[in-house]
Amino acid sequence: MAFDMSKPDFSGLALIGVGTMLTSMTVAGFLLGYGVDKWLDSRPVFMLLFGALGAVGGFLKVYKLLSRGI
Amino acid sequence: MSANENSSGGGTVEYIQHHLTNLCAGDCDPVTHKAASFWAWHLDTLFFSIVLGALIVAVSWRLGKNLSADTPSGFQNFVESIIEFVSTQVKDTFPGHNPLIAPLALTIFVWVWLMNFMDLIPVDLLPVIAGLFGIQYLKVVPTTDLSTTFAMSLTVFILIVYYNVKIKGVGGYLKMFLFHPFGKFLVPVNIVMSIIEELAKPLSLGLRLFGNLFAGELVFLLIALIGGTLATGLAALFWLPLQVVLDLGWLIFHLLIITLQAFIFMVLTIVYLGMAHVEDH
Repeated sequence: MAFDMSKPDFSGLALIGVGTMLTSMTVAGFLLGYGVDKWLDSRPVFMLLFGALGAVGGFLKVYKLLSRGI
Repeated sequence: MSANENSSGGGTVEYIQHHLTNLCAGDCDPVTHKAASFWAWHLDTLFFSIVLGALIVAVSWRLGKNLSADTPSGFQNFVESIIEFVSTQVKDTFPGHNPLIAPLALTIFVWVWLMNFMDLIPVDLLPVIAGLFGIQYLKVVPTTDLSTTFAMSLTVFILIVYYNVKIKGVGGYLKMFLFHPFGKFLVPVNIVMSIIEELAKPLSLGLRLFGNLFAGELVFLLIALIGGTLATGLAALFWLPLQVVLDLGWLIFHLLIITLQAFIFMVLTIVYLGMAHVEDH
């Protein structure tokens, strides 16, 4: 089977993970923020900021996956 | 400990909590028996996952010795069909060639499926047998333990980073963090967003498997409690058949869930590793 490195087709199977990707991006954002806050002693600034970024990123990622693949 | 004994003594909450507590060694809380720090060992999780891994190795080794091209046995046919199924998934999804991916995917699929399958063994059976030997706590399904699911997803994550660096180079990998998804004018936001996106991969892999299996185990426990708490006297004539029907129904449905979860874990591993192998995504 010949492989085309430039045009991989992940879109179909990657959709399996769409549901949890949305939530886990938010959780990952909060976790990253939690770590940065612990480091800089600035709770809850980065937790909220990165949590929001994660949520936005999650929606964006899902939108991209659903509209045209990765 | 059965549902009956416990419900009369400690109640349903204790029964469920007891079943969801690992056999902990090392730095554990003496009251709750939960891990108190990183240096706590879940002996039951380790035991069952290693035994099931050893089972795969032993069966494969035995089968490998008795392979027959002319008259394959029924079991050989069965194993070949699984290998072919996984191989097809890898060929369809994975760009390029990497000899590690197909064996990795097969191992993940079979091992996760077997660990999930422990959920279908009657919930009280193994803990009661262990109780006879003086083992107080026993959680038989390794995938209902976050330690197992995260250990596997972090291994996949390390492989993702390794192949990203190997294929794209350190510079190429770090460049991915700079300009995606908002272009060159929002580099700081892009960096944070890309780190979050990378972290979300192992997080979603681990949490999905854990959540599905933990919830499935909990439903089995609740069904077991029907007979344990309500089936006294004549009422047993109604509740016990109901428990059997519900248990059978959930078991059949759960058979689908454990297979699906093993499949999803495998496929997403292939997809994530595939994404690490292409220049730009």
